[in-house]
Amino acid sequence: MDDVVRAALRAAQASGIEYADVRVQSPQRYEALAVRNGEACALTASTGAGVGVRVRTELAWGFGTVAEVSVAAARTAARLAVRSARSAEGSCRRPIAVVPSRGPSNGRYASRVRKNPFDVDRSEKVELLRDAEKALHVGPEVKSGHASMQAWENVTRFASSEGVSYTSHIVHVGAGLDATAAAHGEVQRRSGPNSFGGDYGQAGYEFIERLGLPERAPLVGKEAVALLDAPACPTATTTVVLASDQLALQVHESVGHATELDRVLGSEAGFAGTSFLAPADRGSLQYGSEWMSIVADATEAGGLGTFGWDDEGCPAVRTTLVDRGRLAGFLTNRETAAALGLPRSGATARAGGYDRAPLIRMTNVDLAPGDHSFEELLEGVDDGVYFETNRSWSIDDKRLNFQFGTEVGRTIVHGELGPLVRNPIYAGMTPSFWGSLDAAGDASTWHLWGIPNCGKGQPIQAARVGHGAPAGRFRNVRVRGG
Amino acid sequence: MPGRAAQLEAVASRVLRRLPPGVAGDVRVRAEGWTTMRFANGHVHQPHVEESRSISLRVAKEQRLGIATTTDTTSEGIARVVRDAVALASIAPVDRRVGPFPSDGRPRPVPYSRSTAALVPEAVGRLAERALDAAGAGDDGYRVSGAVHAGAQTLAVANTSGCLVSGVRTASQASVLVERPADDPPVSGWAEGSHWDAARLDTAGIGREALARMPRTAPKAAKPGAYRVLLGGAAAQEMVGFLGHLGFSGHGEEEGWSCLKSKRGTRFFPENLTLADDGRSPMGLPNAFDEEGTPKRRLALIDAGVVGPAVTDLVTAGHLGTPLTGHALPPESPFGEWGPVPTNMVLSSKDGASEEELAKILGNGLIVTRFHYVRIVHPARGVITGMTRDGTYRVRRGEVVEPVRNLRFTQSVLDALRATEAFGRTRHRFSDERGVQSVTCPALVTARFHFTSATVF
Repeated sequence: MDDVVRAALRAAQASGIEYADVRVQSPQRYEALAVRNGEACALTASTGAGVGVRVRTELAWGFGTVAEVSVAAARTAARLAVRSARSAEGSCRRPIAVVPSRGPSNGRYASRVRKNPFDVDRSEKVELLRDAEKALHVGPEVKSGHASMQAWENVTRFASSEGVSYTSHIVHVGAGLDATAAAHGEVQRRSGPNSFGGDYGQAGYEFIERLGLPERAPLVGKEAVALLDAPACPTATTTVVLASDQLALQVHESVGHATELDRVLGSEAGFAGTSFLAPADRGSLQYGSEWMSIVADATEAGGLGTFGWDDEGCPAVRTTLVDRGRLAGFLTNRETAAALGLPRSGATARAGGYDRAPLIRMTNVDLAPGDHSFEELLEGVDDGVYFETNRSWSIDDKRLNFQFGTEVGRTIVHGELGPLVRNPIYAGMTPSFWGSLDAAGDASTWHLWGIPNCGKGQPIQAARVGHGAPAGRFRNVRVRGG
Repeated sequence: MPGRAAQLEAVASRVLRRLPPGVAGDVRVRAEGWTTMRFANGHVHQPHVEESRSISLRVAKEQRLGIATTTDTTSEGIARVVRDAVALASIAPVDRRVGPFPSDGRPRPVPYSRSTAALVPEAVGRLAERALDAAGAGDDGYRVSGAVHAGAQTLAVANTSGCLVSGVRTASQASVLVERPADDPPVSGWAEGSHWDAARLDTAGIGREALARMPRTAPKAAKPGAYRVLLGGAAAQEMVGFLGHLGFSGHGEEEGWSCLKSKRGTRFFPENLTLADDGRSPMGLPNAFDEEGTPKRRLALIDAGVVGPAVTDLVTAGHLGTPLTGHALPPESPFGEWGPVPTNMVLSSKDGASEEELAKILGNGLIVTRFHYVRIVHPARGVITGMTRDGTYRVRRGEVVEPVRNLRFTQSVLDALRATEAFGRTRHRFSDERGVQSVTCPALVTARFHFTSATVF
């Protein structure tokens, strides 16, 4: 691949630009295996490879990509990148400033994988899914069962005109199952271990084996059926306890996206939106209660947001976003860090593949555990609702007004979990909601989840991000049945 | 042009010739070229130019299906994609209900734009500059954002039943957001449009419209509750788009979560509402055939208020025992969860009103420019939630009296469209950035729309 990288860099530099970086991915492998109702299934293997070149002139960025790995393709990608930058310059007035990419400027990064998922016999994997899917069908009410697994393997060679050069070999895996039950006009779906296709991590096939899908399946199926006759979630302003999976998504939507500095500075206004945060809020804004401490950690073992270098050549770091309730930092890249006057990038420039330019994306954005066991979280609740496994999520374009629904709710009565309630929804405004966090669960309730499909950018690109979260207790929250 | 159709057909034929005896299959060979000029803070900040080729192969071996894709169109790449697909099929569960690959693919050509297919980055950059200038990008206190996308896809589809079709699809799309971020609360206006011919995409007009739709006074708070609402074109298309997914997905029909499953054949919507899926219509973004090579044709989803059938592809048609409707997505599609969905919806009504007339019909209520972050709350009931954005106004006695702060709605799309009282005269064309799915629809007035909370801006 070295000749391809060199060809792209030379072609870009020959056109008089100030900076260029090249990402060559080969191979880019993806496998998706799914079984539905014992028959209809999608077993898919994808192999891709290509070159992405990003350039910077004094005034503008440019990006070009070709889905082929060759010297000719590299030159074409570089030429497209330069032309796109020159085409953009007409509207640009201010020179672009970036911070240096400090840290090790070359090396290798590789995921820690015991069993490469692409080396595991596919029959074994399909058999696992068939067993798990079959076990979802606990009764005639289960109209559809679905079990799936996915694996990604990307080998990326990066080099920049500033001399940064690295190779990364990253493997992600994930798997899950869901049952759809229907009777007397009601339809309910239950997933495990999470919605969005299950749980994901940076690991090998051992991660999927540990999920124990066949063992989980009967409970998933039973809860889907039980939800059909469960009462609707009550309407009230009350205490809620969020399970780790739902609190992870709450972090994603109301903290992760809100602290993306490109959103804060208006770069995403036309599509994803902006943020209620302002650059000057760093160090002063009270985001939530003392139980709220959040980091973005690209060095964390096993996360979907873990890497050696980001996609503009900055080494992975851990950044505190919220420290005991106070806003402490933002997710940054080289350009936005310079705009904020920071000495270095937060290394969150990530691209969805060789064919997409890097954007500020979450890495592993984690809420720290507290000191309450799950039982102690419940003990403090006379009357409340427990929420588990996201079903719907929506938040305004400044990340303030949100509404989340989960697959499962349970009443909490005198410190004990009660029966299931269906279609539970809670809603709130971000700072007041986080301010009402009065207890965070301890390490036994904390889990590092993987979210495989965070969309951002135009053209759209999907990022795989990690979120560690404990269970958490929030007071005075509006809840109702959907 | 990203690739000549004849060349792609030749590659597709080569792929099929490599299949082992006894293995059937269908193959898609795609060449694409796209340019995006994305702008923010008044200048183009993320330009993107992309060229790609790919092969998507699905094989059927003793009623077992396997799928493989590659970006490598060389002989080695073709050998590998065949090997992968066949290997997967050999371990797949049997699906006895899937029929043979369709053989009657004889699609008539649809219009596309040669000049759009040949657009260079510089030309797309000029389209973006026109939008920026028209939206007031240089004015103090204004922040202008958006994007212009343009490009083409050449697709050849072939299968072992004898289908061999190819065609070019072009698309261009632009959106503009104008804000005054320093106002308290900040205000914004929005407009978007799309066309299969970039020469007819008026980016300056879109910029002017976004500017015009931005409130000139500070929005006032509005209480959550049920309102009469005038949904502007962008807001209406969101309702129609979700109805397409929640009500007409063949997969939803099969699994039982389709919100229209029990209503097919009944007059559930107003008699003056007709919704068709018509891939051939130049009112949308024309596409001659689907990803299985089945020719596109007009399918009445709602005919004078009467609910029509769910749409199908090879797999769902087999499972449902209904005909193919020509709505296959790529078998490896990320939309796979939805299965086949309508992709070229055109909503029409007998009588259309002007914008002023619609406001009079509304009487007292709210005008919504567009929605943000709409998500499904309960699919079987068609309930969705989202926020208003970029221009929400209060109307009293048919006159716009003030902008209001944004509200969250939680609403059944069925109830919203069932309660439609009037449609706009002008139909607007909306699409995603590459024209894969489009909705052409007018503004509409609905009698009851539920807002469940409010935000502070």
